Amino acid sequence: MTDRDCEWLRAVADELALGVLPGQERAEAIAHLDRCPACRERVEHLTFVGDGLLSLLPGSEPPAGFETRVTDRLGLNRPARRWRPRAGVAVAAAVATALGFGFGGWAVGTAIEGASAPPSRSSQPPGSAHGLLAASLLAPGHRPVGRIFAYTGHPGWVYMSVHLGRDGSGSDSRAGDASEAAGSRDGYPEAGKVGCRLERTDGTSVHLGEFSLDDAGRGYWGAPTRVDPATVSGARLLAADGSVLATARFDAGHNQ
Amino acid sequence: MRRLGLPLGRLSDEALLAGMATGAPETALAFVRRFQRMVFGIAVAVVDDPQLAEDIAQQTFERAWRHAQVYDSRRGSVKTWLGTITHNLAIDAVRARKATPVSPEDLDALLGIVTRTPEQWALADEAASRIRAAVAGLPRQQARAVVMAGIYGMTARQISEFEGIPLGTAKTRIRTAMGKLRTVLEPERADHD
Ligand SMILES: [Zn+2]
Repeated sequence: MTDRDCEWLRAVADELALGVLPGQERAEAIAHLDRCPACRERVEHLTFVGDGLLSLLPGSEPPAGFETRVTDRLGLNRPARRWRPRAGVAVAAAVATALGFGFGGWAVGTAIEGASAPPSRSSQPPGSAHGLLAASLLAPGHRPVGRIFAYTGHPGWVYMSVHLGRDGSGSDSRAGDASEAAGSRDGYPEAGKVGCRLERTDGTSVHLGEFSLDDAGRGYWGAPTRVDPATVSGARLLAADGSVLATARFDAGHNQ
Repeated sequence: MRRLGLPLGRLSDEALLAGMATGAPETALAFVRRFQRMVFGIAVAVVDDPQLAEDIAQQTFERAWRHAQVYDSRRGSVKTWLGTITHNLAIDAVRARKATPVSPEDLDALLGIVTRTPEQWALADEAASRIRAAVAGLPRQQARAVVMAGIYGMTARQISEFEGIPLGTAKTRIRTAMGKLRTVLEPERADHD
């Protein structure tokens, strides 16, 4: 790129960020952003201003019946407990249903691996409350690197957000046992795949799926899965080589 | 096991979206409940037609439901993401239906809404208060230009025609206004990064 390109970009950056730059110029501007991080950052900041403008608009109550019409449109108003997954996770969910256990990806590159979940009936004890379990994901050395949520309702799901940090920082504690598998790099394999395993109180565990972390070690992922509040104990975040990147423990003391 | 006993309504925006991404209907419903006022508010402000606004709001949730997997928290909050979806749909609808995106009266009314600070909104969001004050502090012509572009999606050319000014002047007004608003929000932005 040339300075002249950047100069031109600066002249149209505001209109681009507000989404009002006409077609041809817009295409040129985007092509420039693809190769110019400095201009990209500038436009990102301006986009933030545009978002701020939208946040000034007051909320407004939609007409009566709106909620129902939306859920109809999404195909959600079906007899209770009949879960129709969206197309995106349909295949994974079909497998899941067959196994009586849910798998499905919410992130790029989710894969289903041989799961050994026990067959489970998807009924819940009458009157049992749906609850949300939450725990911190802790890297070796108890450094918090994310959160995990497990929803015990129907259908249940697990969601985690992870931020290992650029240097992996689990590296200190992992150096000994995992350095061989991880090659010469420190810490987790950057931008690599990680796996999530849910653990039960009886010592068994089940692989829920995999997702990718970006090169800053960040990622977030969720999957539909049955979460039995009586037996789930925690979760593990695993590197591709099987080494443990982080663990989460739902506090056993508060079991109901 | 720690049972937080949190009802879905108390989940974080991100966790709620995640639940929706996994295909959980009751989570999707909770998501709609949480954001419908905001979504409808943006839609109706832009299109000024309740029926069209409802259709846009419905499309917004449909799109969010379909694209929940690709939401990227690094690029902004769930609220912002959803607001942008709504806004884009609303702008498209306006562009498809009307030659002029806004009438002078509507513009004045909206500017009033955006710049006034009625207590009933009691916006907890400090960034919103600051940008509101900043828009209110802009020279009127610049405030009009930035609202026309940023909220009604009007191009610089449309603004120049609407205001009866040269194209270059319209562009300058947008740029100057954005520059000022950016300065006001910059410290906030830096804090977050
Ligand atoms: Zn550049």
